Amino acid sequence: MRIVLAALLLILAHPALAQDAPASAADSTAVADSVEAVPDLDLETGNDDTDVDVSGKVEGMDEQLQVLQGEVDKLRKVKFSGYLQARYEISEGDADTVRVTGSPATITPANVERFYLRRARFKLTYDHAPWSQLVLQIDAGSDRQVRMLDGYLALLEPRTPEPRHQLWIGQFNVPFGYEIERSSSLRELPERSRMENILFPGERDRGIKAQSTWASRVETVVSVINGGGIGSPEFPTTDPTRGKDVLGRVRGLFGTFDAAVSGYVGNATVPLTGPDIELDRTRFGLDAQAYYELPRLGGGTLRGEWWTGHNLNADSIAANVVRPSATNPVTLLRDGANPNSLATDFQGGYVMWVQNLGATFQAAARYDWYDANVDVEHDQYDRWNVAAHWFYQGLTRFTVSYEAPKTDRADGAGGWVDPHDNLWTFQFQHTF
Amino acid sequence: MLKRHLPFLFLAVPLILLAGEAGESHAARGVTIKGSDTMVILAQRWAETYMKENRGKIVQVTGGGSGTGIAALINGTTDICMSSRAMKPAEKTKLRDRFQTTGVEIPVAKDGLAVYVHASNPVKSIDLGQLRRIYLGEITNWKDVGGPDEPITLYSRENSSGTYVHFKDVILGGKDFSQRAQTLPGTAAVVNAVAKDPNGIGYGGAAYAKGVKDLALSFAAGKPAVLPTAATVADGSYPLTRHLFFYVRNKPAGDVKLFVDWVVSPAGQALATKVGYFPLN
Repeated sequence: MRIVLAALLLILAHPALAQDAPASAADSTAVADSVEAVPDLDLETGNDDTDVDVSGKVEGMDEQLQVLQGEVDKLRKVKFSGYLQARYEISEGDADTVRVTGSPATITPANVERFYLRRARFKLTYDHAPWSQLVLQIDAGSDRQVRMLDGYLALLEPRTPEPRHQLWIGQFNVPFGYEIERSSSLRELPERSRMENILFPGERDRGIKAQSTWASRVETVVSVINGGGIGSPEFPTTDPTRGKDVLGRVRGLFGTFDAAVSGYVGNATVPLTGPDIELDRTRFGLDAQAYYELPRLGGGTLRGEWWTGHNLNADSIAANVVRPSATNPVTLLRDGANPNSLATDFQGGYVMWVQNLGATFQAAARYDWYDANVDVEHDQYDRWNVAAHWFYQGLTRFTVSYEAPKTDRADGAGGWVDPHDNLWTFQFQHTF
Repeated sequence: MLKRHLPFLFLAVPLILLAGEAGESHAARGVTIKGSDTMVILAQRWAETYMKENRGKIVQVTGGGSGTGIAALINGTTDICMSSRAMKPAEKTKLRDRFQTTGVEIPVAKDGLAVYVHASNPVKSIDLGQLRRIYLGEITNWKDVGGPDEPITLYSRENSSGTYVHFKDVILGGKDFSQRAQTLPGTAAVVNAVAKDPNGIGYGGAAYAKGVKDLALSFAAGKPAVLPTAATVADGSYPLTRHLFFYVRNKPAGDVKLFVDWVVSPAGQALATKVGYFPLN
């Protein structure tokens, strides 16, 4: 509060306020003239010490100004930002089978239409340039709980205005692929791809990251993280494995075409009563983005991403791990089950198109897929998602989105059906 | 059947609205320009003359600083951003995140970034190293640069100013200004403050230097010091020469293109010289 008052005083006391152009110089001259006119007024009172008084007061104000300037400089280092996404969703589900989208999907509503806050983000950045940066971000969105999303310290290389090398430590987005690190306030579709939701639930993890840019054309990232991610149902804040997960990415930046290759090696744990099972967790990813411009319409982009690797398989775990019950309160591997079958080879990806339509409209479409086990049939998830955006005064965005997932569900008669779970989303977003 | 085609129906809505917007065109609301306070007088003169020569065309100019103009370009609330510094990579990334383009940079004039002192100050020249140390707070007395035994009063700009960023990047190497530097909201304010303060030093566009004295600058100690003049800015011998830019999101078209073409034409460049800036060629 003291700092805010100090800033206010500084603004009010400043001798040259609001002088953006020479036109306003006249105003400031008038202000200065009025100060110089003070002795004349005092001369009428016969006070011979007026000049000394005024000079002393000015010097006193100057000292105050120096102090206040320091306070304001400190305030300038702090930046608040954030956004809110309020939604109305209409599901085509004919039963209570549709869960709120997102990761983690924590709400199973009792009807197919709903209002809710998908994201309510508040971010604080303390910019101690050129040395370091501190970022804290909280969310109070869909799960109706306030939780910390980002909390990291970035040490910056101070030699250049745009730091070429950075070292982050704390909790941050996992630097794998393209989609994960892209802010939800910027994304052209309401949710990330299915593979990202499955493989990196919550998008964030705890660890350390070194990021460098070389000759403005190549960006490299190396990171060591716990591995479970903050969205992990088993280990959201702790790491059960002594070995850490290691990942890296190399991205080429060519202006109208960017491409990257990402790699990830680590371990995943299936907790059991008794010795846990540790399995390999590996990921390999390719992504590319091409940018173009259409006359009158504006910029557009084509993006694609493809990942493959080895990961815990939720279906395998459900089938092979016996969960605790009232009669048997332990978690065990089912008799005869192969522990290696709990993790399977996966592959997934998306292709996406975004087109701006003038300064205020935008359209987007994406096809994404995820196959949790490439060795079995009928477990693949495919989805079409299209969206249109209207931007109002720069900071407000209204979105209409329609997504049509396709999954196979046994119909009980030996066949497969695609459940009715298409989804309309109407979203208002405001950033600050 | 209807359900299957609904997505395509609602995608058609923005296209229809866009057609409406295109019909409205710039003619109704004019071309909007926002940004650098250093350039605001120049852009206003350009706009006034252009509108006088092209009846029916509207060009609206507002200041706020280069950073403010770039932010407006990124959030879509201005057609043209005027900036006294180049866009940063992080700003280009933000622009691309929203508009899928890194923008088009159009140099529109040159400027000498002048260093002002009070008219009575006997110091005539300094080198860039001395200037750096003065603004980092390492040199605090005029006697250390050949002047009187008086404390140096630093005047600077707000961090939304392109002039501030340019000075910080080029002179201070990205380091923070001394905490003693007083922040003023415009170049005119800096000039005004220095004109009234015998111990003051400030910086800003050469076109604003009225009632103050420009310091001659040299690249390093022992090198020749030069004043910001048309000749020294044009040949690059003045150490603090910079381009002034227009930024647009996409390749200029329509009314924006007509105005930009006029600005870089001989008529627009002659006007820049008349206002106190320097032409591109």
